[in-house]
Amino acid sequence: MKPYVSITLATALEVASSPLSLLVMLAAMALEVFAPVFHYHQFGDPTRMARDAALSALFTCGAVFAVFGAIRAVRREIETGTQEMALAHAVARGGFFLAKAAGVAVAFAVFAAAVSGTAVTMFTGAAIGGAIAEQTAQLARVYGPCVAAGVAAIVLPLVLAAALNRFFRFRFVLTAFFIAAGVSVAGGAVSAALSGGDCLRLVPAVVLVACPALVLLSAAAAFAVRFRANAAAALCGVVLAAMLPAMDVYYRAESLSRGGSIPLGDVALAFAAALPAVAGFLIFGIHFSLNRE
Amino acid sequence: MTMEPEIVVSLNGVSKTFRDFWLRPTVVAVDALSLGVRRGEVFGLLGPNGSGKSTTIKMILGLLSPSAGEVRLFGLGPRSVAARRRLGYLPELSYLHPFLTAAETLRYYAGLCSLPRREASRRTRELLAMVGLEEVANRPVGGFSKGMARRVALASALVGRPELLVLDEPTSGLDPISTKEVKTLVKALARGGMTVLTTSHMLADAEDICDRVMILNHGKSVAEGRVAELGTSLEEFFLAKVGDVQDFALAPFLKG
Repeated sequence: MKPYVSITLATALEVASSPLSLLVMLAAMALEVFAPVFHYHQFGDPTRMARDAALSALFTCGAVFAVFGAIRAVRREIETGTQEMALAHAVARGGFFLAKAAGVAVAFAVFAAAVSGTAVTMFTGAAIGGAIAEQTAQLARVYGPCVAAGVAAIVLPLVLAAALNRFFRFRFVLTAFFIAAGVSVAGGAVSAALSGGDCLRLVPAVVLVACPALVLLSAAAAFAVRFRANAAAALCGVVLAAMLPAMDVYYRAESLSRGGSIPLGDVALAFAAALPAVAGFLIFGIHFSLNRE
Repeated sequence: MTMEPEIVVSLNGVSKTFRDFWLRPTVVAVDALSLGVRRGEVFGLLGPNGSGKSTTIKMILGLLSPSAGEVRLFGLGPRSVAARRRLGYLPELSYLHPFLTAAETLRYYAGLCSLPRREASRRTRELLAMVGLEEVANRPVGGFSKGMARRVALASALVGRPELLVLDEPTSGLDPISTKEVKTLVKALARGGMTVLTTSHMLADAEDICDRVMILNHGKSVAEGRVAELGTSLEEFFLAKVGDVQDFALAPFLKG
């Protein structure tokens, strides 16, 4: 088992070390911070806007993160020859592929945790801010500190990582990625404590929306074994198009963030819809790996 | 009565034909090759670029499947995980993860060899000292020179204390001093009882380190035997055997 754990961890590190991963994560966080502000000025209902922005950011940016992370992780190993080095050890081909896919999934989990943390923070800020704004009608004063905190959560990790790189030779992108995720999750935990845990209803919604991203991740990993990066990405576009008619399954997430009991049946349904596809693509990936020369 | 040394690697009538998308044969890289590498010896596969050395190595490692014939590694199929647990491999190009540091790279390969964490750390320090890279242990290998990357790759191949070390062009891209260091290291490993299978198109490498060699040309074995048996100079023998071949890349270089 140890070789596969090593491959999984190295892959997670590889994905987290990619500038694209950091960029996508920060873009998702920025989308969560700024989108509700602009929307609220037009439509009102701040908590709904914060929630929708978070789920949209997770779905769009999560799909990009999963697809490009998986393609890069698998394809780079094949094209640079590091896969040869690994397969010359006591590592089964199918196991190597699964460990690579698991590594991308670990990095994606860190990404999803960061997005969730920011979502919870903004959701709480929107709830508190909305209540105050209704009483005082001074929207800018309420949102100002909340957006400032969100911007700080994006900029602070970059500054810290640059300092650690300058003085202690830490790897900039990797450090920034984990600090950004840490700051976001910590912010989410503080917000949850402040709101008495109400905003945590958003977390299962985030998990639900992460399901299609996992389908895309497994598809990208499988296609990358057989096809070059551009072709694999194009095929993932086809998979996404095929999934769109069933997206209402995942967007039952909305019901999770309403009041009342959490409808676990919807979560189970989303998992049931995603699991066969994930398993199917992973089986394809193993098959491609075994027959690859 | 002396016992015959165990055959660690055996190829029996092995051929490899590469095919295009329509399964039409494009290149016969290896043609009916048979060889046996005995435990404890340094065996060299020699030949010019494109003679089938790397393809043969990849079939031995299970990275390519032979079109015909049989490959056995420690008596097992080359894709057997149990067989590959006993070997270390240095590819022709130093394939390394650029985002990992030298120490992390060795710990990664120690993980692939299932070494316990403490043993992996000890072995990492030991090997970095052996290849002279202790000072840069915590720098990402992506910024290393070709020679430094080669040394990290060699250390990676040795991390699991393999019984069989497979070296594909081990001195490729190294300066003369590093080349001499690698040869000294291979000789020391062989003296310690390790079996070494190496490829090279540099005859001097083979003369210095190999017990037995096989000369390949166009995927076929041209000659096989002990270095001492192949004539006064391996270079002269090499030219005599394959020097008349017009498209043989090495011949003009040797003559010139």
